[in-house]
Amino acid sequence: MSQAVDDAALVEKFPWVQITHDSKHHFRGWLEKKLLISRCDDCNHFHHPPKPVCPSCWSESLTPTEVSGDGTVHLAMHLHQGAPAPGVDYAKGPHPVVAVDLDGTDGTRFSSTVVDLPVEEVVIGLPVELVWIERYGSPFPVFRKKAGA
Amino acid sequence: MRDEIAIVGVGSTDFTRDAGGTSAAKLGAQACINAIRDAGIDKNEIDGVVGALEPGAPRANQMAAILGLKDITHHSSPMPVAVFALVDAMTAIFSGQCDTVLVYYAFTRAPWNSRSAAKDPFRSYLGGMMGGGLKAPPMPESIDPSAAYTAWAARYIHDYDVPREDFGRVALNMRANAARNPKAAMKAPLTMEAYLEARMIRDPLCMLDMDVPVDGADAFILTTTEKAKKMTPNPVVVHAATAGMVGNNDEDQLPSLARHGQHIVVEALKERSDVWIDDIDVFFPYDGFSIITLGWIENCGFAKPGQAGKFMQEHWDDDLGCVMIDGRVPMNPHGGSLSEGASRGTGHLREAVMQLRGDAGERQVHDAKTALIGCGGFFFNSQGAILKRL
Repeated sequence: MSQAVDDAALVEKFPWVQITHDSKHHFRGWLEKKLLISRCDDCNHFHHPPKPVCPSCWSESLTPTEVSGDGTVHLAMHLHQGAPAPGVDYAKGPHPVVAVDLDGTDGTRFSSTVVDLPVEEVVIGLPVELVWIERYGSPFPVFRKKAGA
Repeated sequence: MRDEIAIVGVGSTDFTRDAGGTSAAKLGAQACINAIRDAGIDKNEIDGVVGALEPGAPRANQMAAILGLKDITHHSSPMPVAVFALVDAMTAIFSGQCDTVLVYYAFTRAPWNSRSAAKDPFRSYLGGMMGGGLKAPPMPESIDPSAAYTAWAARYIHDYDVPREDFGRVALNMRANAARNPKAAMKAPLTMEAYLEARMIRDPLCMLDMDVPVDGADAFILTTTEKAKKMTPNPVVVHAATAGMVGNNDEDQLPSLARHGQHIVVEALKERSDVWIDDIDVFFPYDGFSIITLGWIENCGFAKPGQAGKFMQEHWDDDLGCVMIDGRVPMNPHGGSLSEGASRGTGHLREAVMQLRGDAGERQVHDAKTALIGCGGFFFNSQGAILKRL
């Protein structure tokens, strides 16, 4: 875990999200291009977004655990308009947004976009893998169609 | 609390796409004054104030100051949508915190969902309320409470293999009904062809699947049924009311469409009520997004999962251009949030009271005695109420 980035710097690096003491590890993971999902040390339950205690057993012993980011699209929509972001141009075509069932996490989902695929192919059931792009100068986790799928 | 609390006053403004230089506070005050006059009470009799926490709307303490109310022993500003405030007022009266409660909801179009509102300098501060003061806009990939309905609509279409026309029927029903409601913002006739060609916002939901931002306000006076009987010949009682939510309600983490807030609401209402869907005269499924209406139709038990569109088709009245369940029970006769305007359920509540009082004009359901309101959506704001004419 990077300690080089202190809390104030972390907030500066991700101006579009509200980072808390419960989610700071998750976003420090982004800086190292690692997708860290909170896992309970006592009951092994995964959850996301990061919470102060395990929703299953109330343990406060939680470990941000790196996952592969492989998964399957569970929810998909194509934004014809929406919030602005660098690299997102609604005039050029709809921007896909997906919630992905992450492999090996008991159905915990992570939401982002899908890159390098025509938007009409971004559909529920698509197998995906994690890839990192840059947004506002910081790494940002997105998905692409799983190689070989 | 069954039948113990009554609604004895209703007041509203019109719902418009642009009330011009009018503040949410003024709209709210107008609705409150209308409701107090409708109840026929003196303002000094009000000892409770409950105002929904809408962007730009005055909080309960501010409304008490605006209206120059006297001594208040209960006040709160609950979250939208409509039934949170209703239940708060009911429990405050039932527990003896106060006797007579003013409940109000005031809406103002925000700069982020209305071009004309964005031009109003006095609304610019509302922009800062979106995203909680973040330094950059929230990311488009956020499946927030609003976008989540589109994401789950896509899942609904995927799971049940239904056409967009099923969603279109929701929009058509509301528009045909709004034409009979002088307060409604959107009255122009709507066809299925026009629905299918409407501008996509978040595919698979288009502009006509999403409620219409409006300026407007509704207010209600609640008191004990015992007092209500002495005040008015036609009190409307709250037979049952509840909120409902599952624990795992983060919008993108909800396990499935098979169990969410609406299911909890339906179970709670059935448990607390003498009546259910075969007994009702008017049905009010919330329609902030069309998918929510499909959910209420199915989860209340009118249709099996995935069959709400088919149900509407089977119960469609071609002459009226809207749903008439068993030829008798209309669905959101006021036009709902999709066409009357985005009141987050207060329009549904108000129309239920008007119908049960026999004051619904050309929309009046003959001898309406019982109304079922399914309010809110799937995540944190599912609610329901059954209202009865005493």
